[in-house]
Amino acid sequence: MTEENGLTDKEKANYKDYALLSYHHIPGVHNLEVFEKAGGYEMMKAAFLKDPEAIKEEVKNSGLRGRGGAGFPTGVKWGFFTKDRQAQKYLVCNADESEPGTFKDRYLVEKNPHILIEGMIISAWALGIQKGYIYIRGEFYHQAVTLEKAIKEAYAKNYLGKNILNKNFDFDLYVHRGAGAYICGEETGLISSLEGKKGQPKLKPPFPAIKGYRGLPTMVNNVESLAAVPWIMRFGADAYKKWGTEKSPGTKLFSISGDVNKPGVIEVPLGTTLKEIIEVHCGGMKDGHALKAVIPGGSSAPIFDAETSYAVKMDYEDVAAKGSMLGSGAIVVINDKRNMGDVLKWTLEFYHHESCGQCTPCREGTGWLEKVFKRRESGKGLVSDIDLLDKTAASMRGQTICALADAAAMPTQGMIKVFRRELEEYVSTPVKK
Amino acid sequence: MSTQKFEFTPENLVLYKEYLTRYDDVQSALLPVLHLVQEQNHWISPEAIAYVSQLMTIPEIKIKEVISFYDMFYDEPVGRNVVHVCTNITCSMFGGREIYQGLLKHYKADYLKPCDNNRLSFQKMECLGACELAPCMRLNNDFVGNVDLNSAISKIDALP
Amino acid sequence: MSDTVKFKWNDKEIEAKKGSNLLKAALDNGIDVAHYCYHAGLSVAGVCRMCMVEQNGVPRPFPACNATVNENIEVRNDTPKIKEAVSATLQFHLLNHPLDCPVCDQAGECGLQDNYMLHGKYDSQMTDKKVHKEKVQDIGCDVMLDAERCILCSRCVRFTGEVTKSSELGILNRGDHAEITVLKELNNDYAQNLVDICPVGALTSKDFRFKQRVWFLEDVHTTCIGCEVGCSVKVSQNKNGAYRVKPVLDEAVNGYWMCDDGREIYKHVSSPTRLHSLVANQQSLFVPAEEASLKEKLKNKNVKLILSTHLTNEEYRDVFTKIKDLNLAARVEVALYRSPDVGPIFDGILKRGNKNANLKGAIKNFEQFGFDASDDHCKKLMANVKDSDAVLFVLPEMSQSLDHLETAVKQISKAALKCAITPNEEWSFVRTFDFLCPVPTFLEKNGTMLNYQGLERTLVAGMSYGDNSKTVASYLDWV
Repeated sequence: MTEENGLTDKEKANYKDYALLSYHHIPGVHNLEVFEKAGGYEMMKAAFLKDPEAIKEEVKNSGLRGRGGAGFPTGVKWGFFTKDRQAQKYLVCNADESEPGTFKDRYLVEKNPHILIEGMIISAWALGIQKGYIYIRGEFYHQAVTLEKAIKEAYAKNYLGKNILNKNFDFDLYVHRGAGAYICGEETGLISSLEGKKGQPKLKPPFPAIKGYRGLPTMVNNVESLAAVPWIMRFGADAYKKWGTEKSPGTKLFSISGDVNKPGVIEVPLGTTLKEIIEVHCGGMKDGHALKAVIPGGSSAPIFDAETSYAVKMDYEDVAAKGSMLGSGAIVVINDKRNMGDVLKWTLEFYHHESCGQCTPCREGTGWLEKVFKRRESGKGLVSDIDLLDKTAASMRGQTICALADAAAMPTQGMIKVFRRELEEYVSTPVKK
Repeated sequence: MSTQKFEFTPENLVLYKEYLTRYDDVQSALLPVLHLVQEQNHWISPEAIAYVSQLMTIPEIKIKEVISFYDMFYDEPVGRNVVHVCTNITCSMFGGREIYQGLLKHYKADYLKPCDNNRLSFQKMECLGACELAPCMRLNNDFVGNVDLNSAISKIDALP
Repeated sequence: MSDTVKFKWNDKEIEAKKGSNLLKAALDNGIDVAHYCYHAGLSVAGVCRMCMVEQNGVPRPFPACNATVNENIEVRNDTPKIKEAVSATLQFHLLNHPLDCPVCDQAGECGLQDNYMLHGKYDSQMTDKKVHKEKVQDIGCDVMLDAERCILCSRCVRFTGEVTKSSELGILNRGDHAEITVLKELNNDYAQNLVDICPVGALTSKDFRFKQRVWFLEDVHTTCIGCEVGCSVKVSQNKNGAYRVKPVLDEAVNGYWMCDDGREIYKHVSSPTRLHSLVANQQSLFVPAEEASLKEKLKNKNVKLILSTHLTNEEYRDVFTKIKDLNLAARVEVALYRSPDVGPIFDGILKRGNKNANLKGAIKNFEQFGFDASDDHCKKLMANVKDSDAVLFVLPEMSQSLDHLETAVKQISKAALKCAITPNEEWSFVRTFDFLCPVPTFLEKNGTMLNYQGLERTLVAGMSYGDNSKTVASYLDWV
């Protein structure tokens, strides 16, 4: 599914209909001329003929929601931004993509860097921003190189730089590599990292739109959100809303991994059932095993059992209604041979490793959740530890500067809610050495 | 451990100057600069910290803070090749942890400690963002997916 | 004040400046809000998460330290939700904290202990291995660091970053392995403030280490006489002695801080070299002497009275009044000895080079009573000492220029009778004197001084450690 040659005609046709992956089947589309030949940068040129306010209005009307995980309406977020076009400000693309299970942004930019660049130029024009950064996680080295090359091509055609296409608009864009810290995916953690410091989130208020990078107005958007802008410009908000649901319009990139036959990235309208995603787009369960659980939106999302997995529609509302969150759209499919205790253990280890350490409840809590859950390793695990885990996780929520503590607490409580019996057995069974 | 003075090669100095032009203040260039130090010398020695501190007028403690915060920066020597093995959820489901332990055993290595004549260092990492290739590793900058212990070993043996 | 507004905290009405820090407004009005990382002299960090509050109209609890005062807001930290949150957060603070209380200097004034009695859960469920970090580190400037006790409030990092701008301290690593450390060592003149601001026993004073439990100490609020700034300080003492000096908030003079030099000012007050009676020099040993012996020698002599700049305004006044009342002006010449400057005029933060604590007060009183306070006059007086003279030299209580003082003492040594009026037998060159006449130290008298700004600074008497001290003026009765 990730190879151009392996696409069926139906799949190719589907891609052309969708917003983000519509160029993905074209060989060499990371080259600017190939991208342009296929229609790329047309919308950027058209955007310069439009009133910036009109572009913002269109994005708002489209109902596009932040695709990084928070799901906050992008157009509304843009509305908080200063209208002073002369003031110094920044546009930052969040390409840190470190939520376990997520690889959609990587998949998008490694093939088609220009769609992001085009989206950023249009957004910069709409918001009156003169400088932008693509903050990409350090591990995505080749993707960073690809983006740098693409940016260079764009500069060569004056799509970036001073007085773009003689429209009296300057926009400089740079790639900035991170260095291995999940917390830099949090927008203020990202800003701290961009400032050359530890990636520790900042207190809100003030919000980045008012006081962000270097104390100046900063708009931080996810890769997928920015990459959707050219399509919305071409076909309009109403066309975008034809896909998805009323509150979750448009398409979404989902990264699916785990016990399926065809893991990878797909683009489908929001509201597509998880059942369809697994059975149709991912070729069904691997080796014919039964489905036991699904993590629907990255490791921070509470887990679904099989019954809920087969009932849920993948949009923000339905997933939330069923007790989890759509998040980054990272789906991990788990079969009935797996031990949920192990899954929770790996999850707790992750948050312990990634807590930035600033806030006491998160710093100490993430460490303790892991320790309590691993008491079994020295034969000291008790069934009552599950209650302790639940209560401790609950006390970490809503207490901290950023949502990492909640991101650790929610899957913990979620796993306990859905698989308590299995966890109790897991902790009270000493580990055989 | 050598206490050699560190300074950028002339080529890297040119790159450093270019990095500075990307930002509106000097400190913002710190992460790219530290990546550059590691491209030149694999790790960031105390001498390199002193060098960067002077070059960019940043207190040494602040540089040390940054190095200690990020998984990809090393303030202790590492091998010429760094092997990252993902041990997060999907990769663990497909044996990533056993591969990591297997590699440590095979190369008689420890977390990050240089081995095989300073050729290799092993580091278990969090989700690399390539879960469709689970279990996945990085050999220096390259993702290598769908590995098992044997294919991992043969790829690692081929590293310079 | 047009920008002062009223608001409510737990139903109590408070007045504060609109837009000012919400937590500070509460604390300034005597409201008990548990907190660690907030300090009014430093930037806001908001990391300890203890000062969470609820406010009408705001959907979620938030930390008061990151909020501002607005008209008519109603803030609460007494709801069950907040109390539960504070309890849980305190538990997280204590999770990996070592049970060092029996050997920790901070006991009795520890933020964790204090809040634990009010908000603690009491039944610990932490049966796991705690995270261990480096303990007992001598990090310079008389400061000890115990990284395991540290609750990572970051006050010390902000202090060395923002106040001294020397950036010695930092927090390395992520998560619960985050650790406070210095790369090399502390290197600034204000390091002891770190001990004051650390809420726990992570940063402690090497000087005070293991010396005394704080519940056996009482604080005297007085003024430092180390230089012409006259910082507001409190000295902790009990009947066994004085033990340490800490700054007191004084917005007009020293703000929240004091310099490290000032930390030493308690030492001479209760040191073993304190005088307990008049003593006479017998072959370079000082032995107790009868008052009569000195009285006899002093009677009818021509006296050169050299005053230090460490006396209070009241003491200067008493001396000059005594000279007038006893008609001593014909026989007694008075001069003012000034210590030379040490270091720059002003170091940019607090400390000033002029170490003459009450210079302005001295000059004012000298002039008021018609005496010459100039340095020239003092130099001339000391140069013109005759062997028939008696010299009464009120020595400075402390000095950072002992060479200069020693030279001055040598200069007057040709006088037949030399008396040092001083609380201590501390410096080697006092053996030049024939008699040492004990006086109280700054910590044992009430009075006022004028600092370099011309502001009146108050000295408050605490406990007394020297017996048989007399005032300077009363020694003039013997002239």
